[in-house]
Amino acid sequence: MNNLWTVTAFTMRTKLRGKSFLTMTILISLLLVVGSNLPYLIDKMAKGGGAVKVGYAQGEQAEVMTALSGVLASLPEPKIELVPVETPKGETERSEAMKQAIEDKTIKGYLEFESAQGGSFPSVTYLSKKTLSEDASQQLQAALQTVKTDAAVKDANLTQEQLAKLSEPVAFDSIRLDELDGSGKTQEEKDTALLLTYVILILLFMSVMVSGQMIASEITSEKSSRVMEILVTSVAPLQQLFGRVLGTFVVAVLQLIVFVAVTVGNLSLPHNKDSFASLGIDFGNVDPLMLIFAVLLYLAGFFLYAMLFAAIGSIVSRTEDLGQAVMPITMITLAGFYIAIFGMNSPESSFITICSYIPFFSPFLLFLRIGLADPAWWEIALSVGILLASILAIGWLAAKIYRTGVLLYGKRPSIAELRKAMKAYKV
Amino acid sequence: MNRLVVNQVVKHFGDRTAVNGLRLEVGEGEIYGLLGANGAGKTTTMRMVLGLIMPDAGEITYLGKPYSKELLPLMGYLPEERGMYPKIKVSEQVVYLGQLRGMSRKDADRSLKYWLDRFDIPEHYDKKMEELSKGNQQKVQFIAAVIHSPKILVLDEAFSGLDPVNVELLKSTVKELRDGGTSILFSTHRMEHVEELCRNITIMHKSRPVLQGPVKEIKKKFPMERVMLSAEHPVEGLDKLPGVSSLVKHEHGYEMKISKPEVAQNILQHALAQGPIRRFELMEPSLNEIFIRTVGERHE
Repeated sequence: MNNLWTVTAFTMRTKLRGKSFLTMTILISLLLVVGSNLPYLIDKMAKGGGAVKVGYAQGEQAEVMTALSGVLASLPEPKIELVPVETPKGETERSEAMKQAIEDKTIKGYLEFESAQGGSFPSVTYLSKKTLSEDASQQLQAALQTVKTDAAVKDANLTQEQLAKLSEPVAFDSIRLDELDGSGKTQEEKDTALLLTYVILILLFMSVMVSGQMIASEITSEKSSRVMEILVTSVAPLQQLFGRVLGTFVVAVLQLIVFVAVTVGNLSLPHNKDSFASLGIDFGNVDPLMLIFAVLLYLAGFFLYAMLFAAIGSIVSRTEDLGQAVMPITMITLAGFYIAIFGMNSPESSFITICSYIPFFSPFLLFLRIGLADPAWWEIALSVGILLASILAIGWLAAKIYRTGVLLYGKRPSIAELRKAMKAYKV
Repeated sequence: MNRLVVNQVVKHFGDRTAVNGLRLEVGEGEIYGLLGANGAGKTTTMRMVLGLIMPDAGEITYLGKPYSKELLPLMGYLPEERGMYPKIKVSEQVVYLGQLRGMSRKDADRSLKYWLDRFDIPEHYDKKMEELSKGNQQKVQFIAAVIHSPKILVLDEAFSGLDPVNVELLKSTVKELRDGGTSILFSTHRMEHVEELCRNITIMHKSRPVLQGPVKEIKKKFPMERVMLSAEHPVEGLDKLPGVSSLVKHEHGYEMKISKPEVAQNILQHALAQGPIRRFELMEPSLNEIFIRTVGERHE
């Protein structure tokens, strides 16, 4: 037991002192600072930009233009400002004048009309150096649509009442039965759960990939540098294996705490509150049970994969061969992650339900189901039970493989060779 | 009772036999030589002694008791394939290895400092392993094997790759450990070290022990059949003498193989008759010869 802590402490010390750990932590923290302020920054920039100045030839399509500027002016946040430009007669001269106006920076772009036959609404083209932003172009199109509808309505001689009826939107709302009786989750709760699920999935995936690879490559390098020979004669392999996994885990969690602290710290800055509220996300909505499950499943997922990576690392003798050897596990991790990401759209599909019982996927999928669907308690219990049982089984197997693998040098052994060696070593 | 007793140990790997019926005992304050060509089963034997693998048959006892995890702090091991953590400080890793052997951090640190002083490299305490020369890395590794003052020490090719000065330094350290009561199982290909250090030896060949016993008695079993002679002047007609089977002329004398020891006296008289003699010796067979004869004969 004593040795377990010695190994754990040594693993932690060497990692925390390593340059790569410090660099990674600072780098990702910086990314998180930028990321968590991004909604605010985008908002700020969009507002600071103001309305786009759009030019039109004075006098051309006067009726349409008057109506258009009327519609735009009535909007709460007009993104388009119409600027009349005096232009000489003639197609080419006019475009020359418009282009000159763009060069002079009085306008960003200009509208060109092409009269349609039979007096119907002309087609409109926006010409500019840079593409119009999505918002502005939608607004412009909607405004033109309104102008067109108004014109058409005027032609049809409808009364104001008839017009109002026509433009009244259909009342449509979707309510789930459980929302009515209050047992289900509200949209806000769902949005928050969705975000939380996203965050946990990414954290788990990252931790598993980074720490798992680290564990595997350290064991392999201990083997290739032959420190292993001394280690296995000084400390029981089981203590060595668990000490290493535990040490790496503590370091990974420390790093996570830094990341979470940076993110939460930035998000609770006053200027960020509004940005998140506007997205419908309220952190007060987080169910404490969700957090407990998040921690539990993170732990389970971490140890499950860490054991697998350790076992693989112990059968490889050279670091060069490691990438290929860990491929299957990397694939499984990726599969779990992507099933979960795609499953966010349909958390109640039977595919997700079935996969959530497969221990390699359940750390990813069970959390998704708890957050976004409403699994029965026995489903959760079964899934967690299978997961815990597999962790024990895989831990036991990994310890055996580790015990055998660390003494096998040379070419990577096949499963049959590994079994033979296990028998020979009596482990 | 002997410190370490290996009794009729057998080990198979699949259908290959690695060690077959090995028996040896190492007493307190003894260096026991385990010799053999590559692949003879030395490393497997050592791994069994260290408890890394279990024998298929036979038993190994330490201080009269079978192997258990409690014995780990009593054992030290210097593997043939050298290696430490290249990117970690000497102090950090040696203290860690000492701790794993049951020492406290403080004791391990003190012991490390003592040994670094002893080997005259105290300045490497705070250096990374990869910054050290190969010889100094070996010294550090040796320290890692003995830092916890083990009762049973397994040295696999302890002196390989060292310059003569460092070989002497380590050799005298090993002798000191022996005099301090440590039981040492020692494997090497350098026969002169065995002759200097070991009381008893086992020569293994293809998994079997083929020659065992105290070095002196083993040597007695092999006839003295080599004569060295050097004189002030050239000695003629040595190869004509009866019983001389070969003659090699060296820079400073002659080396002869003889069929029986009595022939040596004839050689001496023959040489004296021609003038004064500077050196005459009826040579004991060297372990090197014994090894080559024992193992080499079976190679064919």
